[in-house]
Amino acid sequence: MLLTVNNLSVSFGGVHALHLDHFSLGEKELRVIIGPNGAGKSTFLDIICGKTKADSGEVIFKGKPVLGKSEVQIAELGIGRKFQKPSVFPELTVYDNLLLAVKTKKDIFSTLFFKVSPAIAERIHDVAARLQLNTVIYKQAGALSHGQKQWLEIAIVMLQDPTLMLIDEPAAGMSDEETEKTGALLLELANTHSIIVIEHDMKFVEQIANHLVTVLVRGKRLMEGTFEEVKNDQRVIDCYLGRTNAQLETL
Amino acid sequence: MKTNNKPLYYILFVAIFAILLPAAYLSGLLSINTISIWGRYFCFAIAALGIDLIWGYTGILSMCQAFFFCLGSYGIAMHLVLQKTSLPDFMAWNKITELPFFWQPFHNAGVTFALCLIIPALFAFFIGYVLFRSRIRGVYMAIITQALTLAMWLLFLRNETNLGGTNGLTDFKTLLGFDLSSAQVKLSLYLVSFAVLCLAYIACHRITRSKFGKVLQAIRDSESRVSFTAYKTANFKLAVFVLAALLAAVGGMLYLPQTGIITPGRMDVKASVEMVMWVALGGRGNLKGAVIGALLVNFLYSLCTSWFPDSWLFILGFLFVLTVLYFDKGLIGLVATVRQRIPGLHFKTSQTTNRYVADSK
Amino acid sequence: MRHFLRPGWILLFLLCSLRGRSQDSASIYVNQILQPSADSVRTNAIHRLVALRDPSTFPLLMAINDKKLYLLDNKAVTTDSKPSGDGNYRLYTVYPTYQLLQNSSGQPLLLPPGKLTAVDIPRADRLALVGIAPLLNLFSNDVQKRMLAYSQVGNLQDQSTLQLVAAAVNRETDENVQRIGREALYAARLYAAKDETNAKVYIDSIALNWSDNAATLLTSYSKEKAFSPAAGSYALAKASRLEKKYDNLQRIQNLFSGLSLGSILILIALGLSIVYGLAGIINMAHGEFMMIGAYTTYCMQLVFGHQAGDWFYVAALPLSFISAGIMGLILERLVIRHLYSKPLESLLATWGISLILVQTARLIFGDLTAVKTPQLLAGGWQVAPHLTLPYNRIFIIVLTLVMVLLTYLMLFKTKLGLQIRAVTQNRQMSACLGVETRQVAALTFFIGSGLAGLAGCAITLIGNVVPDMGQTYIVDSFLVVVTGGVGKLAGTIVSGLGIGFFTKISEAFFQAVYGKVFILLFIMLFMQYKPKGLFPDKGRIAEE
Repeated sequence: MLLTVNNLSVSFGGVHALHLDHFSLGEKELRVIIGPNGAGKSTFLDIICGKTKADSGEVIFKGKPVLGKSEVQIAELGIGRKFQKPSVFPELTVYDNLLLAVKTKKDIFSTLFFKVSPAIAERIHDVAARLQLNTVIYKQAGALSHGQKQWLEIAIVMLQDPTLMLIDEPAAGMSDEETEKTGALLLELANTHSIIVIEHDMKFVEQIANHLVTVLVRGKRLMEGTFEEVKNDQRVIDCYLGRTNAQLETL
Repeated sequence: MKTNNKPLYYILFVAIFAILLPAAYLSGLLSINTISIWGRYFCFAIAALGIDLIWGYTGILSMCQAFFFCLGSYGIAMHLVLQKTSLPDFMAWNKITELPFFWQPFHNAGVTFALCLIIPALFAFFIGYVLFRSRIRGVYMAIITQALTLAMWLLFLRNETNLGGTNGLTDFKTLLGFDLSSAQVKLSLYLVSFAVLCLAYIACHRITRSKFGKVLQAIRDSESRVSFTAYKTANFKLAVFVLAALLAAVGGMLYLPQTGIITPGRMDVKASVEMVMWVALGGRGNLKGAVIGALLVNFLYSLCTSWFPDSWLFILGFLFVLTVLYFDKGLIGLVATVRQRIPGLHFKTSQTTNRYVADSK
Repeated sequence: MRHFLRPGWILLFLLCSLRGRSQDSASIYVNQILQPSADSVRTNAIHRLVALRDPSTFPLLMAINDKKLYLLDNKAVTTDSKPSGDGNYRLYTVYPTYQLLQNSSGQPLLLPPGKLTAVDIPRADRLALVGIAPLLNLFSNDVQKRMLAYSQVGNLQDQSTLQLVAAAVNRETDENVQRIGREALYAARLYAAKDETNAKVYIDSIALNWSDNAATLLTSYSKEKAFSPAAGSYALAKASRLEKKYDNLQRIQNLFSGLSLGSILILIALGLSIVYGLAGIINMAHGEFMMIGAYTTYCMQLVFGHQAGDWFYVAALPLSFISAGIMGLILERLVIRHLYSKPLESLLATWGISLILVQTARLIFGDLTAVKTPQLLAGGWQVAPHLTLPYNRIFIIVLTLVMVLLTYLMLFKTKLGLQIRAVTQNRQMSACLGVETRQVAALTFFIGSGLAGLAGCAITLIGNVVPDMGQTYIVDSFLVVVTGGVGKLAGTIVSGLGIGFFTKISEAFFQAVYGKVFILLFIMLFMQYKPKGLFPDKGRIAEE
């Protein structure tokens, strides 16, 4: 297993945001996590990538414990993250955004005297082309459309070349056509990377969920199975069809 | 950088300050004092470059640049005092008979120059290390550095710290054997300051265009993204903080022999906010803006204080408010917007703003 | 009460009963001075009185010495050294008793000196009094002079001097002066004591009496004048116990000062913190609202004039809140509302505003003005001989308590408070739910600035009013906000008190300045552990 999570729990101000007994992900597996709002999906990714500190539990990545490590150490281990709200460098050009992401030495002196080699330039342009950013590559990232920003962030994660990609709602704010393209790209990436995707859009989930889907509800794992199993599970349907509120209120 | 492809401005700037002004002095049109005043402005501009790096490019509002500036000035001042006398007068008044240990190294010019750079750098390193490690940023950073400057100001005001108290250090005679009151030495200091400003500008320019510079700007835009892209942002921030402190110290070192006095007043709350304002006014995130801002505000200051002394604080106050409210990008941004709005006036605007833009070298 | 029965007091009564004998001759000489048949008679009478050293004649001699001897209806009277309003002086009879003169309605009789007949005593005669001037001062109506006199009376082993001092102590009205006087008497007896029991009794008396000087006196006695080692070590033990007690009281005093400093910081930081939490504004001009409050108080003092007594301050309290609040509202409308959620920009813009306000105040009011402390708040509550808690500081603490309570009620029990907390947590969401965020922000600004104005009004009690007074407090109050956690009432209170206490305590160990450096280092270290202050937000709202 590439990633193993046991008894992970975190609470904010007394409210359990996440209480996950077990979660595991294999090499080159694409896992989709779904669940209603506040289910703790993003919090789960935040803990893996070091943004949020867990209260207890363990996260093992490539046989090494992840909890307690800094964001940089986790990134160096090979975990890349795309956030729900596109997080790019708005005042830099798309090219510079990508240049910073490329996997090279990232200490002060190497950056101070860094020269772009033809290989790197080629890689940047290559990735940009795959995400249709080549036409805007010298534009400021802040001037891009929402969908383009999403792609730019995916491109940044790709150039980091991580073993595990954590992708939070990649299709939000995209047209149907763009969504489908994103799905195709993720499936392609899954040939070489392990990926966890959080998504709401069921059509999109259906497109990319070629393996397992995990359902989180109120911080706990409700079930895990193929898309078909999940789609037909009564508890999942309940969660998505209004009874959630009634249940929440009784709690 | 937009005017980067217009070397004309840079040439004009150098021509005015390196040739025209000295020539005007040599032909008797300008007094040596005017030259010396501009020399001081260059020192401020050097410090402003540092502020622009740390604030404009990296987005960290450091309010202790005035303190670093003073550290540079005080170091040189201590050396100059020791050139003249073995025990400064104010110590004698405070009934101190022996030179305090931390004054001892300043007998030697070489050691002094080194210490003037090392001490601010160490201070910056320590402060930066502690603050950046605990992820203090934004407003918190501004407030804590401001409080730090305030505390240091209070320390320097005391007589017990043996740095001259409220009166500061003054009444210097010679630097490296040169008579500081002579016009030639003053002119040389002016030229040296200008040269250092140019060098500092070129260095900063290089830095901002390097990948290192891009990381800095990326930190300003979204620090967490930079961390998740595997850059140790704390190290980068620390590096640029030390660099900014060094630039401020260099400015301070050159400033001292040209003013002939340094008091704690140079690093009080007012002074430290004002230094940031030079950059805001000129245009932060733009090295030209920093230089223009520093030169312009100080030039305005000397004009106002001689014409209508009571009004300077009003003018400065309104400049603060107006700049923040309406010219977010400072003068540089203003010029750029005017140009975009009125493309037909391109030639004319560039002429009317020549003086400012040309300043940016 | 036990110590009143100590031998010192018994001695005093004995001495007083000796007084009667010289009474008759003294009254003759007094008459000769007031209505002399010849100059030589008067000169002789004065010399005689000086030699007699009769305490009952001292007020008269004092009056002569001060050239303040008058006749009113053939009675010898003297006046206070200072007028009690409009150039009128209180009058006292000088002989045979020293008494305040009252009019028919029982009020002190007030007259200008012009209505009195001065008794003219030539300079040569007055010179006769020089030798006993310190003794005379024991009977002065100036507290300071009396206090000083005890250190100047000279050798108390001389019986006649001792008698006089005893008489002076007996009629002393001021507690502190009496304490000094008693100590002088005890010390005289202690030095004279030749057996252990007696010495110990006087040592105990001195320790119980406990003047400022007691510890030093006992120490020096043990070192130099003790007649036996046992008495010496007994005195030393007492002295060190006194010193320890004194240090403890001093510590309490320091804590109390820290409490009042903390209170002021809380008053200022409260508004700052709410405004920052709600609108993301770093208001560097917040200190200037305090300055406006202080100047409002000053203006009230001018408007009410001297006659109105303390009423000016009563009026100033609400007015300083309102004037600073309105100024805050104006600024909010003009400048600050453009800067919501841009803390660094707002920091620079409001600093500009601060410069403008300070310069305006300087042009209007000049550089230094002071507000006189209301009569009611002058002085202090003497808890113990060496522990006085000034009323003005107590008032500041109570004022802060009340304001904190009101702010708490406002924040947690009113609809406005609910809206403020809502906007603080999520501006957009609140707007969607129909909260008028702009109005809420404006009102919050009014309240925050008003609190600062009130702090300014309070500060006039303990300091001068200067145009840049705000700038001295602003950095400290921001530290309070930062340490406490932004927008947190409890955090502001805890860190305000903490910084206040810490400042005063460190001042006791280091000098004020080093204390400040120390606090800063402490806060920097503290933030290593709690980068978002004492009470940070958690979860999603914590982001940004």
